[in-house]
Amino acid sequence: MASSESFNILIAGVGGQGVLTLSRIIGEASLASGLNVLVAETHGLSQRGGAVVVHVRIGDVDSPLVPLGEADLMIGLELLEVIRNIGYMRRGGFIVADRLIIPPSIPDVKTPSLDNVIEALRGLDVRLTVIPASEVAEKLGDVRVANVYLLGQAISITKLGSIIGFDGVVKVLRGLPNPELNLKAFKLGYMGGGFEC
Amino acid sequence: MGYPEVLAEPGSKVLMLGNVAVARACLEYGVGLASGYPGTPSSEVVEALAYAASKLGYPYVEWSVNEKVAFEVAYGAAISGVPSVVSMKHVGLNVAADPFFSSAYTGVEASLLVISADDPGMWSSQNEQDNRWYGVHAYIPVVEPAGAQEAREAALEALRLSGEVRHPVLLRLVTRVSHTRAPVTVGALGRPRLRGVFKSIPSRWNLIPAHARRLREELLERWRRIEDLVSRSELNVAEGPRDSQVVVIGVGVGYRYAREALRRLKAQVRLVKVTTPVPLPSKFVLGEVEGRDSVLVVEEGDPVFETMIKTLLQEVGLNTRVYGKRSGHLRATGELRLEDVEGAIAQVLGLGYRRPELLEATVKPPPRPPVLCPGCPYRSVFYAVRRAVKRLGLDVVYSGDIGCYSLAVNKPFNAQDTLIEMGGSVGLANGMSHVLGGRVVIATIGDSTFYHAGIPGLINAVYNKAPMMVLVLDNGVTAMTGHQPHPGSGFNAMGGEARRIPVEDVARGVGVDSVYVAEAFNPRDVEAKALSALRDVGEGKISVVIARGPCILMAMSRARAESIPRPSYVVDSSRCRGCMVCYKAFNCPAITPSGDGKITINKTLCTGCGVCERICPFNAIKPASYIDERWWNLLGLTTSSVGGG
Ligand SMILES: Cc1ncc(C[n+]2csc(CCOP(=O)(O)OP(=O)(O)O)c2C)c(N)n1
Ligand code: SF4
Repeated sequence: MASSESFNILIAGVGGQGVLTLSRIIGEASLASGLNVLVAETHGLSQRGGAVVVHVRIGDVDSPLVPLGEADLMIGLELLEVIRNIGYMRRGGFIVADRLIIPPSIPDVKTPSLDNVIEALRGLDVRLTVIPASEVAEKLGDVRVANVYLLGQAISITKLGSIIGFDGVVKVLRGLPNPELNLKAFKLGYMGGGFEC
Repeated sequence: MGYPEVLAEPGSKVLMLGNVAVARACLEYGVGLASGYPGTPSSEVVEALAYAASKLGYPYVEWSVNEKVAFEVAYGAAISGVPSVVSMKHVGLNVAADPFFSSAYTGVEASLLVISADDPGMWSSQNEQDNRWYGVHAYIPVVEPAGAQEAREAALEALRLSGEVRHPVLLRLVTRVSHTRAPVTVGALGRPRLRGVFKSIPSRWNLIPAHARRLREELLERWRRIEDLVSRSELNVAEGPRDSQVVVIGVGVGYRYAREALRRLKAQVRLVKVTTPVPLPSKFVLGEVEGRDSVLVVEEGDPVFETMIKTLLQEVGLNTRVYGKRSGHLRATGELRLEDVEGAIAQVLGLGYRRPELLEATVKPPPRPPVLCPGCPYRSVFYAVRRAVKRLGLDVVYSGDIGCYSLAVNKPFNAQDTLIEMGGSVGLANGMSHVLGGRVVIATIGDSTFYHAGIPGLINAVYNKAPMMVLVLDNGVTAMTGHQPHPGSGFNAMGGEARRIPVEDVARGVGVDSVYVAEAFNPRDVEAKALSALRDVGEGKISVVIARGPCILMAMSRARAESIPRPSYVVDSSRCRGCMVCYKAFNCPAITPSGDGKITINKTLCTGCGVCERICPFNAIKPASYIDERWWNLLGLTTSSVGGG
């Protein structure tokens, strides 16, 4: 990455899904690659099952927040949250998201269907990849590794791969609790497979 | 939670939150005592120091009962010669304001660093107050870093300044500094000063009017000296062309936004970084501003610096224009945003600036407010209390408070009519009780909040006879802010054992005759005790109901640590009649309609609290497996209370 370049990532999901962990992995891998990085986290109230969004900015950046309309990549752990944050996306940017809708826990809430949400996203000027990350993660034994599965996919299809590198992420994952499972999910995500496992 | 990064090798560059960088600076300086009361976005400062203390054996770190006491703890140590730090969220300083103001008069013997983490945008707060005003108001200098690395440097410099002038210094953090993780290069750990001496100087430490008058003169003198020092501080710097007609002043994190905005606009403009806004570093500022046409001030929060610089310009007879929030170039509410700062700079420079047209989806997402966790003891409590109220046909006011239980403000509980400030539930209930006649007032308050500021209100109710029911939600921790311990927890900040001070002992001790302790996970028990308590209120009494049951997140982590299996629950669809009590009235997030008019339980979300089994009118919910008795004990349930639904 040239010294005057930057890469903006938004990670969106629901409290408890591992949004913070994922942002930290990307942050650590960026630092290990010798890059400047800012990870603006959400703590407190929003973590009780509420909407969570973390801004990760890599490269020649100062502001902790991604400007609206300028995210190069959004990693979505849940699709309603992807829609909620769609204003952050740059035209032609990448969205890598789990094929998952978690209805808000409000009685009688009206939740759009999975098909409607995906269709709405397809109609936009973004490069959309929706994959069953939590389904694969569950088969692997822990739904919480859906986050690194999505990261694997994002690394393989976007510029993030050349910025922080596959090996860079592997190194960070080795330091996590339960590294084997995380590595497995990450590699499966990288290959975009695992639906059948 | 661990913060190994706070102990990173000297010279290494590690990713850390701004708060952790501040904690690191305290260790590098050799702070001997740290205190605080939790509150987002400040909590990680004390947590990281407590983590360090658990590894190093120093400094002394405590969670105090509230911010006033926390302040006094650090103040007491600092006037006894031990460099100390106290940390809180912005509104915490309101609670600590009394000793804060006095500390400026007496000064200190060793450094006293006061950390206030402000929350512009109100991500986790009831207001957006800018605590730099407190510095102006109390004559206490304010240091405001721009990011995580600067937070380390600023905290170190603030500690040095405080030690040098023997005066407290306020370190103002904001959410995006506190909670942004960034690479930080750290220095060597200092030798802590853990023991002090108190020098008895009655004319200095006793703020009787005669002394205070003299001390005020000295304070103003010291203030001028401090102004001179901050004017020469290396934390305030400028970059870019010296001859530009417009100067942009970035205060704290405002500098970061301004810097990137200027780069993006490719504007050749002088940029001034101010890290010590209060007192105004006049000489430095004048040196940068004199002879320019206009100044744009970019600061997070209120136009504090903008207002001060205008006064200064007027005093010296300069007519440089000053733009910022008062002029409407920047929004007066919410956080700064890069695109807003860019727009403001473009406007001042007369450049065109177009924001990108944002993508919009045709589908709108439903709101997703935070909710009580699946298995939260409060769900059971609110469900039961509301039933008791209904059974007695009472018209009640729920005077609420701040904590996870505030989430009962939402449907279906609607059990919070007010949320004002910590401890406000009981205080407001006093007034309501005197004027609302037939309506029964129920004050709901968390355990940490009860110790923090609820006890005086309760004493007042007893003393001035204000009948009410006080519902104490006793989950053993300060959950909302990250599960910090408090006087009811039985352990302290550093993980050591501590004397537990039960709420019921406090209530009885201050003269409450009607005290009930209920098992939170047992709705029948809560309902029965709430019924009795409400009847007592009808007889003019003050009653306290303590609903006790651990935060489920704590219970689950203990179960994991002690290898206690947790049950999971399933629905017997032959029995489920689709009454939806569990979904609509109890509203556990793990319970959802199954499509055939009945319900299902999400296995991953179910915590095994078992309350749904107890509230199902048709015995349709059952554990999927054998239940280890130790799990019930963990939840504070007696076996007899959980037999069958
Ligand atoms: C003066 C002040 N200090 C700190 C906070 C931050 N804060 C919000 S809720 C809360 C305490 C919650 O603890 P508790 O009363 O035990 O309720 P729980 O979250 O456990 O339900 C705190 C410290 C605040 N809002 N105001
Ligand atoms: S964190 Fe604990 S107290 Fe807060 S909502 Fe969750 S279970 Fe309830």
